[in-house]
Amino acid sequence: MTPTQPTRSGGFWAEAWRRYRRRPLALAALVFVGWLAVVALCAPAIAGTKPVLCRYKGHLYAPCLAFFDRRLEPAVFARDRFRGTYPQNLKEKDPDSWAIWPLFFQDPYRAVRENEWPGRPANPARDEGHPSASHPFGTDQYGVDVLAKMVHGTTVALLVGFVSMGLAGTIGIVIGALGGYCGGWVDMVTSRFTEIVMCIPTLVLILALTAIIEKPSIWKTMAIIGATGWTGIARLTRGEFLRLRQSEFVMAARAAGAGPVRIMLRHILPNALAPILVPITFGIASAILTESALSFLGFGPPPPSASWGSLLNDARSNYSMWWLVVFPGLAIFLTVLSYNLIGEGLQEATDPRLREARK
Amino acid sequence: MATYLLRRLLLGLTTLVVITGFVYGLARNMPGTPLTVQLGETDPSRKINPEDQERLRKIYGLDKSWPVGYAQWLGNLLQGDLGRSISRKQPVTQLIAERIGPSFLISGTSLLLTWLISVPLGLYASARSGRFDERASSLLLYVLYSFPTFVAALFLQIIFAVWLRGTPWELPLFGMSDLPADAPWLARVGDVARHAILPVTCQTYVSLAYDSRFIKANLEEAVRQDYIRTARAKGAGPWRVLVHHAFRNTLIPLVTLLGLSLPALIGGSVIIEQIFTWPGMGRLFFESIRERDYPTIMGLTLMFSVLTLLGQLLADMLYCVVDPRVSLD
Repeated sequence: MTPTQPTRSGGFWAEAWRRYRRRPLALAALVFVGWLAVVALCAPAIAGTKPVLCRYKGHLYAPCLAFFDRRLEPAVFARDRFRGTYPQNLKEKDPDSWAIWPLFFQDPYRAVRENEWPGRPANPARDEGHPSASHPFGTDQYGVDVLAKMVHGTTVALLVGFVSMGLAGTIGIVIGALGGYCGGWVDMVTSRFTEIVMCIPTLVLILALTAIIEKPSIWKTMAIIGATGWTGIARLTRGEFLRLRQSEFVMAARAAGAGPVRIMLRHILPNALAPILVPITFGIASAILTESALSFLGFGPPPPSASWGSLLNDARSNYSMWWLVVFPGLAIFLTVLSYNLIGEGLQEATDPRLREARK
Repeated sequence: MATYLLRRLLLGLTTLVVITGFVYGLARNMPGTPLTVQLGETDPSRKINPEDQERLRKIYGLDKSWPVGYAQWLGNLLQGDLGRSISRKQPVTQLIAERIGPSFLISGTSLLLTWLISVPLGLYASARSGRFDERASSLLLYVLYSFPTFVAALFLQIIFAVWLRGTPWELPLFGMSDLPADAPWLARVGDVARHAILPVTCQTYVSLAYDSRFIKANLEEAVRQDYIRTARAKGAGPWRVLVHHAFRNTLIPLVTLLGLSLPALIGGSVIIEQIFTWPGMGRLFFESIRERDYPTIMGLTLMFSVLTLLGQLLADMLYCVVDPRVSLD
């Protein structure tokens, strides 16, 4: 008889990852979100009207970074009166210049004019903007290319999920941890507070908060979604902390002289993190939904933003432009679906009860 | 039981005061007032002169700070008066009463349809658990669940109101009725029904996907219990085990779900009513926020919050009815 080799356990997260990998759909969803992140990071290099890299009057510049922040646009181009149109100005003002252009020469904020790119006609506007070879997803009523808008809108879609749920997660974990760990009157106050916030209909609260903002911006929308979406996380965290507070390892830590903050952060939180991550992932999906719904209702950030929801809003004024609905709609749908699949994969991979049931 | 109800009632009242006070503060701090927003937007030349505006501000009580205004609103509420809408010149109670019907028409139909379809679907899914057809239908439901309502609404509008225009399949784009009020009764009902098809579909499919998944998850939990094995050992058939033994025990979480859907049942859905310009409560709320119509905002907020609290209480009470082991004290 050969002695059986004990299989080495790679720790909780390695185990969870091993189980997660077995679900092809969850894995595909993870790949999709990763791909979106790449698109968001490289957006100005995928679609834009500014060179990714160019050599002008002896210096190297990367004007495409202006799409992330207008201040990143090199001052020399403003001095030389480029006015945002690069292709011909570059050649005229410095015949020796060269440039690496984005894959797709289209601007997410304005229509490309005739001959802006040598020999290319102006973007079609209104009903003319059917999807075609030069505009795979069509153009909107002002002639702005939909694909370029969507590529640049990816940043918004991803940021909304992460920023608002980062905020909601922080609030929820702090409130839940305080209530669960301290107990007594602290728990009483935090629990009542959570219950009251839960009773306010979310959309009512979000609409009211959005309406009091003087200058709407995408960051404020994210803050509002985060500030209203933490209640479920707080309840779950409280439950986990209540349970783990009684466990032996916490008692051991306390006996070793660890303070309450250290116990909460270093000892209990890592053990409670897996179940808390699940509602956070689902929360990302619903945050993206909420943001696009707000933009769609016209309550989102003002026009020069390329949120997917605002494209849908444009479609409402002209129903015959179906491409304004289909492509952004599918993008929102696929992103929400991916986060839901990731959340479910995470749940199945980390929940011991579901694991036993599978056998 | 009585002490429990009393405690819940007190807690509920505190919650209501906190919520309405908070929303009142928010509403009063929104940029613009009902007077400026309404008149300034429609026609700049119709901006009222400062004296008139001051007079109107006095009439509507807008010259007072918001805590004072809130106290007044609360006082009027205790006398059963929700105030008059500023932009619509109607009592808020009347405005709400007009909008309850249309909202309920959509959400009531949708709730009924959801339960009629999702219960058999959930039973079917857990009976065929793991088979190919179950996995395909579950995947489809999952995909539907992630499909945003407003995207689906736009898709449906484009398909049925634009592409199918002129065919018998054409459905109206928005509104509740095209016929005048003096049209024959039967024709009007048919017309409203035709207008309601798309909004009801949109409202139904998401909850359908959610509910049937919920039912299936609960059934699968129940099927693993010992009493199911006992029932099987006794010789009960698979359907009898599923419906009679397992499903009865999943009624408890379902009842909670039913209670929690109460606010949506009467309050309607802001997004769907807004897309289909359906004259319901959700749309009224959306419009009142845009018009800064404080009395209407407050009346609706109060109603939504009362419904939410009532739904939770109802869920807890039904819980006791369904499961005698649970006691409220």
